[in-house]
Amino acid sequence: MQLLLQLLKGTGVTLEVFSLTLIFSLPLGFVVCAGRMTRILPIRWIVDLYIQIMRGTPLLLQLLFFYFAPFYIFGASLPRFWAAILAFTLNYSAYFAEIYRSGMQAIEVGQYEASKVLGFTKAYTFFHIVLPQVIKNIIPAIGNEVITLVKDTALASTIGVIELFRIAQTASSREFSTIPIFVAGVFYFIMNYVVSKIFDVVEKRMAYYR
Amino acid sequence: MIKAEHISKSFGDNVVLTDISFELKKGQVLSIIGPSGSGKSTLLRIITQLERADNGTLNIDGDYLFKSNGERAEYTGSKKAREIGLKVGLVFQSFNLFPHYTVLKNITAAQRAVLKRSKEESEEKAIVLLRKMSLEDKAHSYPFELSGGQKQRVSIARALALDPEVLFFDEPTSALDPELTREILKVIRDLSEENMTMAVVTHEMAFAKGISDWAIFMDKGVIVEEGSPAELFDSPKEDRTRRFIKSFEE
Repeated sequence: MQLLLQLLKGTGVTLEVFSLTLIFSLPLGFVVCAGRMTRILPIRWIVDLYIQIMRGTPLLLQLLFFYFAPFYIFGASLPRFWAAILAFTLNYSAYFAEIYRSGMQAIEVGQYEASKVLGFTKAYTFFHIVLPQVIKNIIPAIGNEVITLVKDTALASTIGVIELFRIAQTASSREFSTIPIFVAGVFYFIMNYVVSKIFDVVEKRMAYYR
Repeated sequence: MIKAEHISKSFGDNVVLTDISFELKKGQVLSIIGPSGSGKSTLLRIITQLERADNGTLNIDGDYLFKSNGERAEYTGSKKAREIGLKVGLVFQSFNLFPHYTVLKNITAAQRAVLKRSKEESEEKAIVLLRKMSLEDKAHSYPFELSGGQKQRVSIARALALDPEVLFFDEPTSALDPELTREILKVIRDLSEENMTMAVVTHEMAFAKGISDWAIFMDKGVIVEEGSPAELFDSPKEDRTRRFIKSFEE
């Protein structure tokens, strides 16, 4: 009972990491995506490199970097929790940006041409014609990424964030038992079950057209 | 209505249009024929502002979209260009309906956003047009629920809803089977009977001959020959034209 309460508390922290990461990275992904698609070459190069680094190196290493690097450079670290949020946000923004970009590129050029000939402004075309179709296109890929994020939050334990996995680990070594870890596994499973059901509903709601 | 003089256009080193001049008078139907890659579509796309001309002069309903300064085409300001754009409608080969909008909304969206018509007014107009296209029962369907011919009729209604002075068709039946093609050709024929000014790029020779007041044959970016349909289709002067038209009879 005691254990369950502790794990529930850890789940609270896990959900905080999860939701803050989404709140920051979903919009930031748009900015990155815009940078990735801009015609201004220096910006595109920088954003390209950023995405390559975020996708090309282990998230675990990025977490350690954002926790320890400020200490060596500025002599002070971010609080563990916020270092984790920063690392997750920057990492997931890169992935979301790539998803947004593929969603944009899937829009047929004819949609832009029809909009132009009908006299729509660029802003109207983007917000009313392109964006709704992009959102529909990318929902499945975003769903995948969000499910991965639920599991990735466990990595925050490596820099000492007291979240679900960390608490389960501590309880395991204290009680010489793997049971707490398995219980934590059930918690992750339940969270992702809910996430995937939510995405199912969203996908169905957008299935009114093809 | 439309007067084009010496229009030229290249994509990089690839010359697509050379010295194109023609005139389309109010209430007339012009057909443009020619093999693929002859520049017909590019010409329509220049007039509807989807492409920019390199050189030449184009007057639409009394206003210059661009004027040659001898070396290149100088375009009018963007506000004027938008105004001119509203006078021309374009029907695409691939329909390009908005998949997330119902048929009704496909036809009302531009009326509301661009012409600032009220919801009631734009819907009324849409219903009238849908009736004309015998599609009034499809107002609340989505494009994916329609056949190709129905989609193309919706896209014609969408273009007509903005009351264009001229309507351009870019191979409107090329994506359709023969039966659906007839559907669309009938709609275009009906429009010509109402004296709608139109220019049609098409491979439907019999149709082009029957409907148009003037016909142009293009090949490799130049106008090889033009004339009344009787002249161009029945007794073409140029060997190239003759061969092209004959290739449809086999």
